[in-house]
Amino acid sequence: MQLDTKQRVTELSIKELLATQQLNTKPQVVERLAVADDMRELLPDSGLVRGRIVRCSGDAGLSLALSLCSLATQQGSWLGVVGVDHLGLLAAVEHGVALERTVLVHPPKTSREWSITVAAAIEGLDLLIVAVPERLSVNDARRVQTRLQSRRAVMIIVDNTMLSQSRSMHGSNEAQQFLADVVLDTKTKSWSGVDRGAGYLQHRDVRIRVSGRRVARERNYLVTRSC
Amino acid sequence: MPAPRRLAVLRCLDWSAVVAAKNSTTPCAVIHAQRVISRTPAAMRYGVQVGMRRRHAQALCPDIEIVAHQPSRDRNAFDAVVRVVNELVPLIEVSEPGLIVFAARGPSRYMGGDGPMASKIVEALETSVADSHLAALLVGVGVADSRLAAQIASHASAMASSSANLFVPYVVEPDKTNEWLAPQSVRVLGEFASINRETISLLERLGLNALRDVCALSESILAGRFGELGVELHRLSRGDEQYPLAVVPHPPEHLCIEKFDQPVSDQQIIINSVQRMAVAFTEYYSVHGSVCVRIIISFESEAGKRSERLWYRPQGLTTSAIIENAKWQLEAWLASQLAGDISGDPESHAPESHALESRALENRALENHALENHGLVRVQLIADEVRTDTARQLRLWGGSTQTDETATQAIGRLSELLGSSAVQVAKWQGGRDILDSYELVSATHAQTIGSASSGEQIPAQKWRGALPNPSPSVVYSEPIQVQINDQFGKLLSVSARHELSASPVSVIIGATHYKVNSWAGPWPVEERWWDLARSRRLVRLQLVCEKIAPKNTATENTATGRILIDSASQILAMLVILEHGEWTVAAIYN
Repeated sequence: MQLDTKQRVTELSIKELLATQQLNTKPQVVERLAVADDMRELLPDSGLVRGRIVRCSGDAGLSLALSLCSLATQQGSWLGVVGVDHLGLLAAVEHGVALERTVLVHPPKTSREWSITVAAAIEGLDLLIVAVPERLSVNDARRVQTRLQSRRAVMIIVDNTMLSQSRSMHGSNEAQQFLADVVLDTKTKSWSGVDRGAGYLQHRDVRIRVSGRRVARERNYLVTRSC
Repeated sequence: MPAPRRLAVLRCLDWSAVVAAKNSTTPCAVIHAQRVISRTPAAMRYGVQVGMRRRHAQALCPDIEIVAHQPSRDRNAFDAVVRVVNELVPLIEVSEPGLIVFAARGPSRYMGGDGPMASKIVEALETSVADSHLAALLVGVGVADSRLAAQIASHASAMASSSANLFVPYVVEPDKTNEWLAPQSVRVLGEFASINRETISLLERLGLNALRDVCALSESILAGRFGELGVELHRLSRGDEQYPLAVVPHPPEHLCIEKFDQPVSDQQIIINSVQRMAVAFTEYYSVHGSVCVRIIISFESEAGKRSERLWYRPQGLTTSAIIENAKWQLEAWLASQLAGDISGDPESHAPESHALESRALENRALENHALENHGLVRVQLIADEVRTDTARQLRLWGGSTQTDETATQAIGRLSELLGSSAVQVAKWQGGRDILDSYELVSATHAQTIGSASSGEQIPAQKWRGALPNPSPSVVYSEPIQVQINDQFGKLLSVSARHELSASPVSVIIGATHYKVNSWAGPWPVEERWWDLARSRRLVRLQLVCEKIAPKNTATENTATGRILIDSASQILAMLVILEHGEWTVAAIYN
């Protein structure tokens, strides 16, 4: 009997200890930026969670990144496009990005300057679309990621491979300095709207593979997109 | 009820065109988004009007000089005028390049009445610009009890002076502003008080053609129909200020002052300290639920010289606006000081002894030299007019929301880091080419565009002959060479009738081969065929290609240093252009 009470006391104290610990650690509020309806099911938390990194790769990566950003910019968030050299602004508008809250930044491609620029952009902008230079060191990348988490911004990485005009063949798999929370890998299956000399490009079927640290199970989607 | 203030407005008609013109007699028009926003008197004689299309202006006056809109040029050049007026009137407010506002009571008493004062100022101005390219400048001065009335009067004065070829000031008698405003058309509200065009058009359709009609309605009826805007309309048309003075007691005056122990000669340090002060300044007033609409920014140099200027923004001055204005004032002041140094002015202790010649002194090294002699010892921000903050939502820049404010700060920081040309924002300008439709302007300039009330938003519309939606997401500014072959391996060509010589079958970029699955086009573009230098003749084609897997990747690696398209992508949609007999990839649908 006596032993039982003793046991209970220790149990209670442990519970109390746990409770106080839970009080000390902040409640985890997952605040997210809204995304359009058709994008919601692709993302694990049905939105862009602040402080996280999303990678959009493959041959529909840039247009996917733009449509991820559209609703958030319309609702008042600012978007910085860093180091993406050949962004088609008309396409951005058609995806619904609010251009009056969009800034295009062209930093030098060296590791240190690029990371300083991105860090400065993180300070004031909610959303970033970045193209990571090949020569970014892992150290600088980690610093940027820490800053991103503390400033609660969202970074979307797009592949540089399609965009840059000069690129060596071996660099294709190297831009993995950032550990992305969500990876959306796209692959175009087919285009519709064009024929042999008639029509114009209208829709395409894209296979999107969702993976990454925050994704429990890798999933595949087949989506028809207007671009 | 505060006593009515007399306000004088000095207007330089079509300032940006006059500045842009090479000399005083050439017709010149300033174009923004394909529309004329300002033109010189010489162009006006040909019938060129504001709001006209560029093409129309050129048709009316074939020799017209077309210049792109550049706000920084207008701003820098305007300082010559500001300095001249500052000689005669101590405290002036520069609303925008081309427009100066000041309290008329003191100066006109000193110079013997409103009319003589205006004539004296304009005379001084005309002698200072007489032999420069600004000689064609049309100046008007209007004096009235309200800002709107003074603005209209100044415009009328400028127009009258141009037709009479002699300066005629326009003075509205004290306490007669109401009667004077009554017969004016409601369109003046759009022109001078930045009320948007739809509202004006609605007023006209409601049968309210003159300000008198608006005034005759009761304020509550207007408020019921238009909300806060209705109250504003009523206030304007009866001759009151657009934004009323605060009726609640002001927060105790807040003195923002920074004294440097040692004279500071780095411009960046001064701007940084202004930034710190501005943040504290706006915060102080926003805590009290009010906003500062008029501010005096004052700099004092080691030698005892002082630069004091009044800045006004009817919506309230945000932090970024204060910094922007301070920068403008500081740069201009340093330039004028340097001009004084060069001309060997011995009386360095005389306050505001500026040399009158306007010099474009943008060279930073020169500015720093100026500061070496005249390090600043004091910077001060003084609130001149405060009103209750109605939390009005602002467009675009200088936003009133928290995110806009932090974003604006971050953009300023980025421009500092990388130089202003590396931080850009997009502005619609229209065009057939995918590259043309949006113009990239440096973000620091865009801030001044956003703050000026003149920049009316033009809705983005597609041009006829532009590519159908969707647009490509990767657009190359320098197109990439490509080879397109037909089934016999011959280069594809397009006839004079815009017909393809054969079906495209294969595409070669660098050393990568693609098979064409389907295509659309060709869509021809013939632009400006009458102008040899700028004419373009090209054909566009959309291709959907599939990559042919190379047999041996290892050999390919060594063969090419440049591979453009990612090897992982199998299906690729691209836009190719044939111009001057060469096929290029203009864009990729990524």
